[in-house]
Amino acid sequence: MKIQGEGHIFKRFDQEMSHLHSVVLDMGKLAVQQLADANGTLEKADVDAAHQVITNDARLNALDIQADNEITNIIARRQPMAKDLREIIAVGKIVADLERAGDEARKIAGLTIRFFKTSENPPRQEILEDIYALSDFVMEMLTMSMKSFDDLDLALAGNVLNDSLKLDNKLQSTIRRLSTFIMEDARNVGHFVDIVLGIRALERFGGHAKNIAGHIVFIKSGEDVRHAGLEDILARIQA
Amino acid sequence: MSFKENQEYQTVGNAFSDDPMITCRNVDVFYADKQAIFDVSLDIAKNEVLAMIGPSGCGKSTFLRCLNRMNDTIDICRVSGEITLHNENIHSRETDVVYLRARVGMVFQKPNPFPKSVYENVAYGPRLHGLAETKSDLNEIVESSLRRAGLWKEVKDRLEQAGTGLSGGQQQRLCIARAIAIQPEVILMDEPCSALDPIATSVIEELIDELKQQYSICIVTHSMQQAARVSQRTAYFHLGKLIEIGLTDDIFTHPVHELTEGYITGRFG
Repeated sequence: MKIQGEGHIFKRFDQEMSHLHSVVLDMGKLAVQQLADANGTLEKADVDAAHQVITNDARLNALDIQADNEITNIIARRQPMAKDLREIIAVGKIVADLERAGDEARKIAGLTIRFFKTSENPPRQEILEDIYALSDFVMEMLTMSMKSFDDLDLALAGNVLNDSLKLDNKLQSTIRRLSTFIMEDARNVGHFVDIVLGIRALERFGGHAKNIAGHIVFIKSGEDVRHAGLEDILARIQA
Repeated sequence: MSFKENQEYQTVGNAFSDDPMITCRNVDVFYADKQAIFDVSLDIAKNEVLAMIGPSGCGKSTFLRCLNRMNDTIDICRVSGEITLHNENIHSRETDVVYLRARVGMVFQKPNPFPKSVYENVAYGPRLHGLAETKSDLNEIVESSLRRAGLWKEVKDRLEQAGTGLSGGQQQRLCIARAIAIQPEVILMDEPCSALDPIATSVIEELIDELKQQYSICIVTHSMQQAARVSQRTAYFHLGKLIEIGLTDDIFTHPVHELTEGYITGRFG
């Protein structure tokens, strides 16, 4: 009799799950890279590179479809149960979150095109600093979520959920700081709306990282925490 | 993880019911000196389907056969502990085993119709137990049993033909009709679909769903998908021990015991 820990009695099942796992990790890396690249285009005012970031989003979309196809095939062929079932259900949601995180990165690249395409009155880099700082923060959140997924590490998922609380605070202070730029120079008003939309995109990017952390809790414990309060979820993780 | 036969254990989950049809307490089964079932306690509730799953040799069929004393037919088999049907100890001296097996019917892995006509296969039990006073009564029982087994339309014009001439799936439904013709309270099913194709299996599973409105059903199956489809509660056996029992929805999505998890996810078997 094979015992637990030695892998599935059908090796092919382990191979299929392992491949799906690697597709999800690739999507996570790509989503983070897309946001990093989008920020680079803003910093360098590089409109052509921004178009390239938008084009590259198709790679994430393709991986999203590939992952969904693999999920469908595994369910149809293997009828996974228990933890395998939870993992495959969660992975379906994780890839959707990653695909949408990529869409948010694309919006930051869109800002570059909007600000620098005509080069008339582009925003000062000083005003964009908050976008860079928030981007770094949410990229770290997503990276941590993906590590949590890779290792099924609940503590790491808890860190991401904690960071989502910090993100809320950062967003509020960012909006306050942006207001001061408008008060200093009324010509900044035109950029303000675009920057706020960019910040909103980053908030959603971080939201997807938080969702993924919730999916890890589901894989590990079977509890669906999507609509639970953050403090409640953190308490359950610690329990 | 290792799990030894002589290791103390405690069943995970709630094995009991507020409204039990059958109660089993501290049941041990021995084949000569070899213990096959270890201290199993559980209830089978009214109008529920309880699925028993586990790897080959885990004792699920042995335990099932305790419930209508089918193990009495094996000389070296000894059963201890208490099993009650409607609060009556099935091992008491007053128990009429033939009557017990009428109340707790059984459907086996391989369809085993009598070498008689379709009609006689169903009529035999009611006639034996005096359930029909007239030929008309008997006809009614045969028809209603075949209807409830979902077989009437297929055999109504050939009731006098041999039951063994039916297809595998039809033979199994004939055996179910035979079991329900004597108005049982519980139906035991020992891998009833293992010899059937998917279509015949789906017909039997539909039937199980309908039959639970009237009977308690305990089914042993090697198909976890089948256990998940037909049962309300699932019991997982391992090396003669009841490791975990609970709502089927819970067992197949987030089992508690790692042996249950390992088995149903295909990590061993």
